[in-house]
Amino acid sequence: MTQISWLIALIPAFPLAGFLLNVFLVRGERANGTVASLSIVAAFITTVIAVINLAGMAAESRYIAITLWDWLAVGRVTVSFGLWFDPLTAVMALLITGVGALIHIYSITYMHGDSRPGRYFAYMNLFVFAMLILVMSDNLFLLFLGWEGVGLCSFLLIGHWFDRKHVAPGIVPSEAAAKAFVANRVGDAGLLLAMMAIVSHFGTLSFFGSDGISGFVSKLTDASFTTISLGAFGSVGLVSGIAFLMILGVVGKSAQLPLFVWLPDAMAGPTPVSALIHAATMVTAGVYLIVRTHAVFDLAPDASGWVVIIGATTALIGATAAVTQFDIKRVLAYSTISQLGFMIAAAGMGAYTAAIFHLLTHGLFKALLFLGSGAIIHGMHDIQDMRRMGGLRKHMPVIFLVYIVGALALSGIFPLAGFWSKDEIITHAWYSAQNINVTVILLLSSLLTAFYMGRQVALTFAGDVRDKDAHPHEDLGTMKWPLYILAVASVLGGLMNLPGVHWLNDWLNPVLHQEAELFTLSMGIFAAVTVLLATASGYLGYRMYSGAVGARIKPGDEDPAHYYLGDIWKGFEMGWGLDYVYQRIFVKPYRTLSTFLHDVFDQQAIDGILVEGSAGMVGRFSQAVARIQNGNVRTYALVFLIGVVVLVGYVVIGA
Amino acid sequence: MLPTIFYIGLSALLFVIGVCGVLLRRSTLMVFMSIELMLNSANLALVTFANQRQSLDAQIMVFFVITIAAAEVAVGLALLVMIFMRKQTTNIDTMTTLKG
Repeated sequence: MTQISWLIALIPAFPLAGFLLNVFLVRGERANGTVASLSIVAAFITTVIAVINLAGMAAESRYIAITLWDWLAVGRVTVSFGLWFDPLTAVMALLITGVGALIHIYSITYMHGDSRPGRYFAYMNLFVFAMLILVMSDNLFLLFLGWEGVGLCSFLLIGHWFDRKHVAPGIVPSEAAAKAFVANRVGDAGLLLAMMAIVSHFGTLSFFGSDGISGFVSKLTDASFTTISLGAFGSVGLVSGIAFLMILGVVGKSAQLPLFVWLPDAMAGPTPVSALIHAATMVTAGVYLIVRTHAVFDLAPDASGWVVIIGATTALIGATAAVTQFDIKRVLAYSTISQLGFMIAAAGMGAYTAAIFHLLTHGLFKALLFLGSGAIIHGMHDIQDMRRMGGLRKHMPVIFLVYIVGALALSGIFPLAGFWSKDEIITHAWYSAQNINVTVILLLSSLLTAFYMGRQVALTFAGDVRDKDAHPHEDLGTMKWPLYILAVASVLGGLMNLPGVHWLNDWLNPVLHQEAELFTLSMGIFAAVTVLLATASGYLGYRMYSGAVGARIKPGDEDPAHYYLGDIWKGFEMGWGLDYVYQRIFVKPYRTLSTFLHDVFDQQAIDGILVEGSAGMVGRFSQAVARIQNGNVRTYALVFLIGVVVLVGYVVIGA
Repeated sequence: MLPTIFYIGLSALLFVIGVCGVLLRRSTLMVFMSIELMLNSANLALVTFANQRQSLDAQIMVFFVITIAAAEVAVGLALLVMIFMRKQTTNIDTMTTLKG
């Protein structure tokens, strides 16, 4: 037992060791990449061993817990640095370390020739470490450490090319990094407040407790009728209040409706970073938080309702925005937002297993798509605009093959991974939750998903290269095997939770206590209809953009659909204008205020009077004094003599 | 034997001449010689007082002064040679590099 406990402590220790080595000892691009990759591979192997051990335990006590040390003890609240490894953590850790390792290996070729490889690989390792801490923590406080850690690492990695004025499509890396950080911070404030509420009412932040003290999860039921007074605004149920505050954290980290604006701009970082943020880590944290604290949401139906609304709306907004993008990575970014909307909506409806299932399959095929698009960008020499691509099927046959797999999986085409997980969510919305609005929205989003993936594949791979100056080539190096492995995983990922077999459901049952839904014939017909619609939609997208519409696309031009849809298209392209609103409400007034304070207070008061004023005074005084030092020996001698005469005179006369 | 006051007067006169030499002459060599003059005026005063009090203490001091003056001249002349090699002049007013 003790050996296994130490084993799980090793899982986050490897990436941390990799980070420290890369920061302090290892120099040289090749060595950095090798150390970073090996540390994540080691973490993956450790995770696999831990999972095998976990599977051998009795279902009712299937968890490994270890308290490394007591972290903080303030008053009656003690926060321990404790790790917790249960089936839910296990699947998350497998995804993080597995996909993370592939991304690291891929990066060795992708980042070849970069000016700061050591920094890059160190931050990547730190990123994985923070995410592992997030999913393995046994209390909310340690989870928050990981939560902030991934926020910090996303800031560092999105801004990896901080010295570039802008990267395609016209995003400033340093600004994009700051944007991600600030948007996340808004959400983090919510999570922090939720933690405070939990501490003040339950006196502990531990999920399940240890050493005989129970965690807050088991105390929730007793508190279901407790209310918090909000003064003039009435009162709110304690559990609902906590849930709403947590939602704020979730929408920030998982890029949901009001706060998703940072994710499309996060494309400013290197492509493997996007893959890491979108697939394995970071954005999945919000979904994980809901599922981990599902007891809170179970007791707060009003909050869960909002979760569903946020998720479904985000799914639609993300899908519509993805349809209109021309940047190959921006399409995928909005697609991630949309798919996260699916997961959040599923979590809100109480289909936690479906949410985790989609999280896992999405992690696989989105990593594949991002790494594939990275390989395309690499082969096109940093061209990301799909209008300048086209015809890459001939130049990049391997990438074409794996990309098609990823696109089909994301579109939800039978029998690839995306089909099973997405279908489970929509089926749940229709049959179990019986929410027709959400079903329609999710169905529409999933059709749009197929459409934009068809469009993207057509624009990228079909026809001929539109930019005659581009010289596409395929040179994969270490990028090859990650793509292959992820392609196979994207095909087979659905096996995790096939209807009727539901391994994932059984595996997560000790944590989530959800029975697998019975598979009925009507569900099968429902799924068949959705997959037919998705196929049709995807084919339509491919057909349009490889045929007549695609022929009218020129580099730098608007999409031909813009001609028919006009401002609606424009609105989709801007992500429904949320960025514009924030720009107007927050960024511009803030900039104006900052400029005012800079000009008036900083330049005039602080710089003018305090800094330059005091310095100038000392300077002028020194200049006056310096005149005495004329360097003339005879003057010095004279002064010396006068001094002697005065002193001697004083002694003689005074005495 | 003349009264002590004459010797002391001579000593004071020599000292004032030395001071004036240090302050007024431009040639570094002359400044050096003036410093020697001042040292020797002090020696004269010491010897005079020693003679008057019939004590050898002050005379011993004179030997010290002579020795140190010799050392000082050795160092000083070496410096003077170097200065001349640098500046091709021994004018003391040209040495103002420590000007603030």
